[in-house]
Amino acid sequence: MQSLIKFTYASTHYRPREGMIAFLLHRISGLAVLLFLSLHIVDTSLVYFFPQSYGGAIALYRLPGFMLAEIALMAGVIYHGLNGFRIALFDLVLPSAWTIQRERLSVRLTILLAAILWLPAGIIMGGNFIGYTFLGWH
Amino acid sequence: MALRNAVTAQTPSPAPLRRSWLTVAWTLMRLSAILLVPLVWGHVLIQDMLVGVHKISLDYVAMRWASLGWRAYDAGLLCFAFAHGSNGLRQVLEDYIHGRTARRVLRTLIFLFWLSLTALGAAAVIGGVRQ
Repeated sequence: MQSLIKFTYASTHYRPREGMIAFLLHRISGLAVLLFLSLHIVDTSLVYFFPQSYGGAIALYRLPGFMLAEIALMAGVIYHGLNGFRIALFDLVLPSAWTIQRERLSVRLTILLAAILWLPAGIIMGGNFIGYTFLGWH
Repeated sequence: MALRNAVTAQTPSPAPLRRSWLTVAWTLMRLSAILLVPLVWGHVLIQDMLVGVHKISLDYVAMRWASLGWRAYDAGLLCFAFAHGSNGLRQVLEDYIHGRTARRVLRTLIFLFWLSLTALGAAAVIGGVRQ
């Protein structure tokens, strides 16, 4: 608990550079994806245990708030995967190639690429969100 | 010297790692990550973007799981993604929880969490849709 308080204090009183930003985003997106995955395993298991309740559970994901969270979740999944690749590349494949300059450049490229890859998902799912929430699609 | 090596990662001959289960977990996080990128991205591309949550129903799951290949795909997701996530949660919490007993309790709880949800998911993937 002490270290969590210290960490929270440091995070809000220290201007992070690329490495720490990558670390924080990796952590937040990982925890968010795990939270959704746990929920998703439970809802999918309904098809075997309570098949008549499955439709009701999926209806929750169609609520506007959940649809927006799903779009954010896509950003998390894309970033976490790309940054994981970046980490695995430096840790397993090219540990000797690591320098602080390459670390910073690779983080910037990772975030840029994640944004580019997320764009089509944002457009398609954002379109669905508008259609189903405001235009009466069903 | 040791600090400089740690920062620049240019140690000429690194000392051999003592392989505990933590070392194995560390390596598995990276190996499963490489596998998970195509598995998870493929899954969200199909289910969230191309199909969409409004077209997912009991019949849709039944149709998808009629194919053994898709069941194997989902079993792979369950095994690797959830184990990767559970171990990640352990890593995150152990950054803040240092006590010997507290860590033992934490690891037991996360293990039970992983085991119960994996069992739940495995029952669904193996048992399939009951109609």
